[in-house]
Amino acid sequence: MTEQDAAEVVEAGEADATKAAGPGDPIIEMEGVGKRFGDFVALRDVDLCVGRREVVVVIGPSGSGKSTLIRCINRLEEHDAGRIVVDGVELSNDIRNIQEIRRETGMVFQQFNLFPHLTVLDNVTLAPRQVLKLRRRNAEEMAMALLERVRIPEQAAKYPGQLSGGQQQRVAIARALAMKPKVMLFDEPTSALDPEMINEVLDVMKDLAHDGMTMIVVTHEMGFAREVADRVVFMADGQIVEVGTPEHFFLDPREDRTKLFLSQIL
Amino acid sequence: MSRFVAEPSGGAIRWLRRNLFRNPIDGAVTVVGGVVAAWVIWRLVRFVLVTGRWEIVEVNLRLFMYGRYPEVHVLRLSVAVVVAALVGGLVAGVVHSRQVRAGTSTVERMTPARRLLDLLERFWPLGIGIGIILSMTRTPGPTVTVAVAVIAAVLGRIAGGVLPRRLHPVVAIAAVATPFVLIWYLADAVGWNDWTGMMLNVFLAVSSILLCFPFGVLLALGRRSRLPLLRGMCTTLIELVRGAPLYVLLLMANVALGFFVPQELAPGKVVRAIVVFTIFTAAYVAEIVRGGLQSLPSGQEEAAKALGLSPTRITFLIVVPQALRNVIPAEVGQFISLFKDTTLAGAAMGLFEVLRVSEAVRAQPEFAGQNLLPETLGFVALLFWVGSYTMSRESQRVERKLGVGQR
Repeated sequence: MTEQDAAEVVEAGEADATKAAGPGDPIIEMEGVGKRFGDFVALRDVDLCVGRREVVVVIGPSGSGKSTLIRCINRLEEHDAGRIVVDGVELSNDIRNIQEIRRETGMVFQQFNLFPHLTVLDNVTLAPRQVLKLRRRNAEEMAMALLERVRIPEQAAKYPGQLSGGQQQRVAIARALAMKPKVMLFDEPTSALDPEMINEVLDVMKDLAHDGMTMIVVTHEMGFAREVADRVVFMADGQIVEVGTPEHFFLDPREDRTKLFLSQIL
Repeated sequence: MSRFVAEPSGGAIRWLRRNLFRNPIDGAVTVVGGVVAAWVIWRLVRFVLVTGRWEIVEVNLRLFMYGRYPEVHVLRLSVAVVVAALVGGLVAGVVHSRQVRAGTSTVERMTPARRLLDLLERFWPLGIGIGIILSMTRTPGPTVTVAVAVIAAVLGRIAGGVLPRRLHPVVAIAAVATPFVLIWYLADAVGWNDWTGMMLNVFLAVSSILLCFPFGVLLALGRRSRLPLLRGMCTTLIELVRGAPLYVLLLMANVALGFFVPQELAPGKVVRAIVVFTIFTAAYVAEIVRGGLQSLPSGQEEAAKALGLSPTRITFLIVVPQALRNVIPAEVGQFISLFKDTTLAGAAMGLFEVLRVSEAVRAQPEFAGQNLLPETLGFVALLFWVGSYTMSRESQRVERKLGVGQR
């Protein structure tokens, strides 16, 4: 990525709120990204640029394409229009590119998706050992440090099925962090949790944001968006309707669809 | 069921009245059923204890168990049994220590007496079978072997429990290698084609189970492959094999193979039987495993992809282990039927397995024409029941254990 490109992106951001680049140099650039499922248009001409160390929260009604958007970034869904560049690597059908981008992006799912046949420790060490070729001892030391960070080191020897939802989601975060990703993608990480467990997960995510992790978070937790987000992206019908700082967003939304959505959930 | 009864039950009479004699028809059914059951049980007990002429089994016990395996090499059988027990104990110990670590052990908090009861509950069919066989032996060899095997199993279990974690993979490898090594060790004395008796049935079953398993998994994966040629080949093989009776396949291996392969190059009958059993069971295992693969939520594969694991690693580290675990009962059911189907190898291929042994001993001069069918068939049935029932119960136990917290 040349300086000129970066300048263009910044310029474009100034020209149009939906293309706003975040602070610092961009790590994820999406240009004109489109995705269809049969006749259903999930994403329509989406432009989004995320800077390093930036926290972007994506909100919007269900079916608006929020999950599809972040699932395109690590190729869990294949976009069929536009281009996506992650840390200078453009997503193409080249399996090596895809693998490289997946190594650099961690993902946390709504349903946790921990591997039920492996212990918590093995869940966290699996990818570092298999993909990064770490030795078992080093991988386990790192995993224990991460489990400390998500505040459940004492559960290391257990199986996911023995943990509560909040604990499982924190293990999932540790598992994603174990690959030392440059970007973390969160796909509604608290939507499947009982209310009393939501905060323990959000607290871990806040810590992560404060430590400077680049994050894209699809969530319905407006409190989290207000407190942690650098920018909030509002999506509807597969399009980005409005982008702005939390202050702008919650105090002075410009678009009618945004106002309608916020009035429904706040 | 009595627990659905609202008022407290008032003794045996009331229970009987409520459950067996609620109205005249109930009473009649109870009386008739009771009389028939009593008659059958009485005949059975009388046959086992009084009228049965068990000397035919007693005299031919060796022939039943290990057929014509040379007497000078019988010590190898004892060694094999003891080694198998030792490795089995080691594996149980390792599994237990891992469960304790993960907090999923169900026996950890049991008192020693309760644990012994648990073991008894698990292995009573095996115990009864071994007890009956030992009661008919005339030399101390088998009893000593069983005693040593039990000690070896206990020692293995204790050693496995305190083994350092880094040695656990070694035990896993040893567990997989042991059957192959033991089969080779036993075959070393007589060659592949001279296995006979119950030993042959066990040999056919064990080798076919070991071989059909990886083969079946690969077939299942092949049937889900994106490559049309591979998918087509796997589907064709599975459906062809599943469409043919096992007996016919065995007959074909016995007779038809000679038309295609020159006599000198054709493998021996035992090897042919193993090939047929392996392919046959693999086709069924493939379908069972395919069901397991399909039942896996897509999130598992997505999570593995998101971590950057390669497709091969996703398949063999994430997808297959979970799919196999989900279908353990069906797999074991298939293995049980394979174990029993080994008797077909006698009828179709003339192998001297245990059922053919039972025919042969009935033709012996001192027993011929005395209608000893019930005794000999009864004994063969007992051998198969012990093996099948133990396998079935152990699979249920594994299934239950995996349900504890690992899902």
